[in-house]
Amino acid sequence: MSDNTKLVNHNDNEIHITSYVEHFGTWISLILLTFMTVFISVFGADLNTLTVATALFIASIKALVVAYYFMHLKYDPKIYRVMIIVVMALFLFFLLMLVVDYLTR
Amino acid sequence: MTDSSMSQPSYLNIKKGLFSWIFTLDHKRIGLLYLYSVGAFFLVGAALGVLMRLELLNPGGDLIEAQTYNQVFTLHGVIMIFLFIIPSIPAVFGNFFLPIMLGTDDVAFPRLNLMSWWLYVIGALFALSTLVFGDGPADTGWTFYAPYSVKTGTNVSMSVLAAFILGFSSILTGLNFIVTIHRLRAPGMGFNQMPLFSWALYATSWIQLLATPIIGITLLMIVAERMLGIGLFDPSIGGDPILYQHLFWIYSHPAVYIMALPAMGIVSEIIPTFAQRTIFGYKAIAYSSMAIAFVGYFVWGHHMFTSGMSGPAAYIFSILTFFVAIPTSIKVFNWLATMYKGSISIEVPLLYAVGFIFNFLIGGLTGLVNGALAADVHLHDTYFVVGHFHYVMFGGTGFAFFGALHYWFPKIWGKMYNKLVANVAFAIIFIGFNTLYFPMLILGIMGMPRRYYDYLPEFHSLNQISTYGSWILVSGLLLMIYNLIRGYFNGTKTTDNPWNGITLEWQTKSPPPLHNFDKAPELVKGGPYNYPNAIDGSH
Repeated sequence: MSDNTKLVNHNDNEIHITSYVEHFGTWISLILLTFMTVFISVFGADLNTLTVATALFIASIKALVVAYYFMHLKYDPKIYRVMIIVVMALFLFFLLMLVVDYLTR
Repeated sequence: MTDSSMSQPSYLNIKKGLFSWIFTLDHKRIGLLYLYSVGAFFLVGAALGVLMRLELLNPGGDLIEAQTYNQVFTLHGVIMIFLFIIPSIPAVFGNFFLPIMLGTDDVAFPRLNLMSWWLYVIGALFALSTLVFGDGPADTGWTFYAPYSVKTGTNVSMSVLAAFILGFSSILTGLNFIVTIHRLRAPGMGFNQMPLFSWALYATSWIQLLATPIIGITLLMIVAERMLGIGLFDPSIGGDPILYQHLFWIYSHPAVYIMALPAMGIVSEIIPTFAQRTIFGYKAIAYSSMAIAFVGYFVWGHHMFTSGMSGPAAYIFSILTFFVAIPTSIKVFNWLATMYKGSISIEVPLLYAVGFIFNFLIGGLTGLVNGALAADVHLHDTYFVVGHFHYVMFGGTGFAFFGALHYWFPKIWGKMYNKLVANVAFAIIFIGFNTLYFPMLILGIMGMPRRYYDYLPEFHSLNQISTYGSWILVSGLLLMIYNLIRGYFNGTKTTDNPWNGITLEWQTKSPPPLHNFDKAPELVKGGPYNYPNAIDGSH
């Protein structure tokens, strides 16, 4: 099957068939990132206080990969990306204010 | 959409029997299922409220014990917040009128819509089960603050599971409305041609979709803390109770706008109809709904000024809180400007809409007092907060709900209630409401704390006035309900458009047919409120 074949359904919405290569590549990257997370937490990579931050960073990359490829954000209209960004911004603001509260209490 | 000259039967007559209602996929019937459900719970919640006021008529525990009082105010709060106010306008009038106002025949996901109602019923049963199982209803207040909610022996787990299930109902309704608004608008109806009630529901739905999952998880964390002792919120095992408050209010403050925004949408429908003129500042009102929904996410910390949150965080939240006032006042000024030089006919729905503006102004301005950091330190956890909250929720959303009921009653049932009795009922409700809640603002400033079954002698007279107000209010509510039920059974048949409205619901029959329209509705040129005989057509 050809890469990223575009079809048009009866509602004039473009639908996509993603190639096996892309699916497989996404899966491999998720597996590698999972191994990295396990290595850092279990096998004692000495990152001290950065351990949690690193795990969160890797988890965020995994979430982005899933959203972008598996959930087809890559092919959706830009408005969906804007929505995701707005939600992420709200979440980051929540974390920011929690940190402000904790560090200045 | 049905586009035939054949006249369809009314949605009320298409099928008969209990099962045709509780398994219906028709958005109008589902709206009515919600109406009967939330109406029943409103009466239960109101009865609990009256019971509290009776206890507070005189100092001392002369009617109910302290522990019972704690459980009564918790159950009152849980029922009124989760079972009445949050689902009230979106689930009842949103379900019934959103598809009709958009010119379509149903919501995007009718089965999901029915499932939302069933989840609501199951959640309600969970909440009510606390009355008979375990050690009785929770005594934590509707906020379930940790660490007390983790330690109390009352039935907290069941109560929070109820709220969790009800949250799912809310999320699914929000999702349904968002997709409906995006995908099912009538041909030619852009976002800026939608009625303002649809805009309000759209903003509300985003809050339901994005904020409700947070409270769901937080409440499950309470259950996990109670059962497994994880150490999330209980400081004795390493938890942080203020983290619970952060998580609770990041949902529950936006939830205030789940309650208020649809009410504003109702007022935006009623005022142009009874002023018979174009709404002033359509886009300002529409976009201010979105602005309120957005800004509402950034202000949750103003509920926590005295909780032990840090000073710098409190300053930031106090400043951000004031930004909410801007889009809210934009709406109020636009409503007033719409009535200015309009051909006003003073009908019952307009009275409720104007009553909403009056009460909501008091509720909103007292909210700013609470948002001001220095004032809040004095007023926090006093009756001032109780008064403010009820002015916003009951004086605002409650009045808008009653206004919507009177506005769309002839459309829903094809009959008209007795207008004179409805006017009298409104007057009694308005007087009773203000007699009940205004003294609370004064009591709060005097320093009377909330959530106590007893009080000092100097608070006696104002508490008496407040309790007398509750009796007036209840008598007005009973008269209103009697009048509406009488209208349902014996009301005179009404025309399809008794108020001369021009949004799409007034183009169809009263009551509407199963698929909403016998023929495709025609969009009003120049916008949904472009009244042909308006003196001033300015926007």
